[in-house]
Amino acid sequence: MNEKRADNLLLAHAEALLGHPEAMLEAGVTDEEQHELTPLFTLAEQLRRCMPPVQPSAAFVHSLGKELAHSAKHQVAMAKRMRRGVLIGAATVGSLVSIASVVGAAVYLISRLRARSHAQVQ
Amino acid sequence: MSEESDSVLIARAKEDPEAFSLLYERYIKNIYSYIYYRTGNHHDAEDLVSRTFYRALKHFSRYEDRGAPFSAYLYRIAHNMVANWHRDRSRRQVVPLNEMMLSSLKREQPASVAEEKDEQDTLLEAVRRLPPERQQLLVHKFVDQMSNAEIARTMGRTEGAIKSLYHRTLVALRQDLLGKANGLDAA
Repeated sequence: MNEKRADNLLLAHAEALLGHPEAMLEAGVTDEEQHELTPLFTLAEQLRRCMPPVQPSAAFVHSLGKELAHSAKHQVAMAKRMRRGVLIGAATVGSLVSIASVVGAAVYLISRLRARSHAQVQ
Repeated sequence: MSEESDSVLIARAKEDPEAFSLLYERYIKNIYSYIYYRTGNHHDAEDLVSRTFYRALKHFSRYEDRGAPFSAYLYRIAHNMVANWHRDRSRRQVVPLNEMMLSSLKREQPASVAEEKDEQDTLLEAVRRLPPERQQLLVHKFVDQMSNAEIARTMGRTEGAIKSLYHRTLVALRQDLLGKANGLDAA
């Protein structure tokens, strides 16, 4: 039997174990294939038996959920505060730069006017 | 439970803490099963599940949705948590309380029940010796009962690769069990 065929049959067998018997019928396993794969089929059956679904306790799920919700709220609020801080900081820096450039331009103009009038006097 | 897709919830969760809670509710059972079968006891499973979700939340602002299920991100964190747990445990050599209780229970059970329990324990121990991705596959297949397509999406592989991995996992597990049995016979 080739590898691909074995892959398909093993998975069809697993599906059948999980309540879908039609998967095995559709795969159409021959007696020879059945015989060859029996040890792996048996192993899969053992796995199915010893790996039942497990559930966390409801109290654990509830308490962890509550703690996480609280932390998530705190984290989102912190991120918002941080973004607002960055925005205010950027706006402040922007305003300062604008004021500085207006003052700079005024100083430059005044100094040029003074230089010109000084030159005219001479 | 919410019907919204992971992508929608992830986008919402960046601004709305409630959306993260919905992601938590969606995946808590799967992550718990995965960690429980990798550690073998409920106490450590609860501890590691808590750490997994806290870690996910802490780094959530940097999480980028690339279309993979959110569970893939959680399994990655859970895998690292379990790996650290195994490393710490191998340094300390602890016998978990569950194991101690189980062994004392075994002594009180009828022989047939105890024998069956022994077989199950041997198999689960062999499962825990498998590489992490093979353990993950078995948990998804038998415990979570996911479809092959879901397993493929969660593990970031193709369905064909999952089929082949399942086959190789069974073969490796059988070889491990036969090796152990032969070792016992020789002893």
